[in-house]
Amino acid sequence: MLVRFWGTRGSLPVAPTAMAIRHKIANALVAADGRRFENSADAERFVDRELSFAAGSHYGGATSCVELEAGNGSYFICDMGSGLRSFGLDSMRRNAAGHKKTYNFFLSHLHWDHIMGFPFFAPSFDPEATIRIHAAHPDAEQALRRQQEEISFPVPFDWLRANIEFEQLTPGKSHEVDGVRIETKLQQHSHDSYGYRFTDADGRAVIYSTDSEHKLDKMDVEAAFIEFFRNADLVVFDTMYSLAESVSMKEDWGHSSNMVAVDLCHEAGAKKLALFHHEPTYEDEDIQRMHEESIRYEELTREGSPLEVICSYDGLEVRV
Amino acid sequence: MDYFLDRREDAVIVAVHGRVDEASWESFGAGLSEAIQQAQQSGLGDVIIDLQKLDYMSSRGLRVLTVAKRQGQEASVTISLASPNEVMREILAISRYDKLFTITETIEIRR
Ligand SMILES: [Zn+2]
Ligand SMILES: [Zn+2]
Repeated sequence: MLVRFWGTRGSLPVAPTAMAIRHKIANALVAADGRRFENSADAERFVDRELSFAAGSHYGGATSCVELEAGNGSYFICDMGSGLRSFGLDSMRRNAAGHKKTYNFFLSHLHWDHIMGFPFFAPSFDPEATIRIHAAHPDAEQALRRQQEEISFPVPFDWLRANIEFEQLTPGKSHEVDGVRIETKLQQHSHDSYGYRFTDADGRAVIYSTDSEHKLDKMDVEAAFIEFFRNADLVVFDTMYSLAESVSMKEDWGHSSNMVAVDLCHEAGAKKLALFHHEPTYEDEDIQRMHEESIRYEELTREGSPLEVICSYDGLEVRV
Repeated sequence: MDYFLDRREDAVIVAVHGRVDEASWESFGAGLSEAIQQAQQSGLGDVIIDLQKLDYMSSRGLRVLTVAKRQGQEASVTISLASPNEVMREILAISRYDKLFTITETIEIRR
């Protein structure tokens, strides 16, 4: 299975300012220290080898959208954040090369940052495309129609040309979609959210669990999450806040922390954790520090086999 | 994980030994409640958690600390942390719990 991250930011799309780019370029030139590069490929090697990710790159600012290449040839996409726009365009290039025009969406919930990309999803104008929107929320269709009402958007939902279907998922029940088994789990979040476990024919399992708060006074329900994450090859997890923020000022805001992510993945015997739904006020250096601290915490608390902690960014591909 | 309560003249001390994780957070929480109750009954305003013999605490233990802090606030008892080892110091920094709790070098209260 291949997991491709199209949008990894939480709550609100962000973009680096002119000042932030200048700052990166200036620091890179200082780090190069007068070195000569034959060509841009040579310069990129320098960036990869000698600059940190935050110094030489960018985590991206599009909101939640994660593609899974799995199953029997149709698309699998978690959430419709602003990252969906680029995925839509990329998929049309793939369709031109013969890819099946069937899109299976799985919605964690209906908050704006998780559906805002749909009005910009170009394949929805393709009459040959089939778009199946799987959600455990009974009001998913209402949410998508509402954001294309005239007061919010010029193109109404009914003008879309693709064949659009809504599929209601039942938490706790296993669903089979085009060769992939899908399980759904209720999570703590405003108006509820749902986590997904995707298992392909080879038995590879990927968890998508975002906008999920693990509350202080409900630690006893975490056993069910550990079961849900059990032996997963990859867990994509909402790590928006520090643990202290999640239990103090930002309690009940519906998000979780890197430390709870590591603990649950350790207990579940998961192999890889992807930090996800990054705080929009964080600069690249802040996200990188959070990543480094997560790796360190994993080392400090490890008892069994190691958990690899990666930090998702827009454009990252992970093969499991 | 084991814990030991000691009622001093100025505070109740809870010494924690071993490791607080998914297997032991509930009994750690029970120990803290007991300490807060003792402090309240003795008219003491402080519970100090002595971390000297603690290996480490996972997010479970830290979250139990927050629950205890709230119980303490209702009972007018302040909870502070004392003498964490190097690992625990790092965990307190990574979690940003060093911003939520007073952390002292020793279990002596300096006023
Ligand atoms: Zn969100
Ligand atoms: Zn949300």
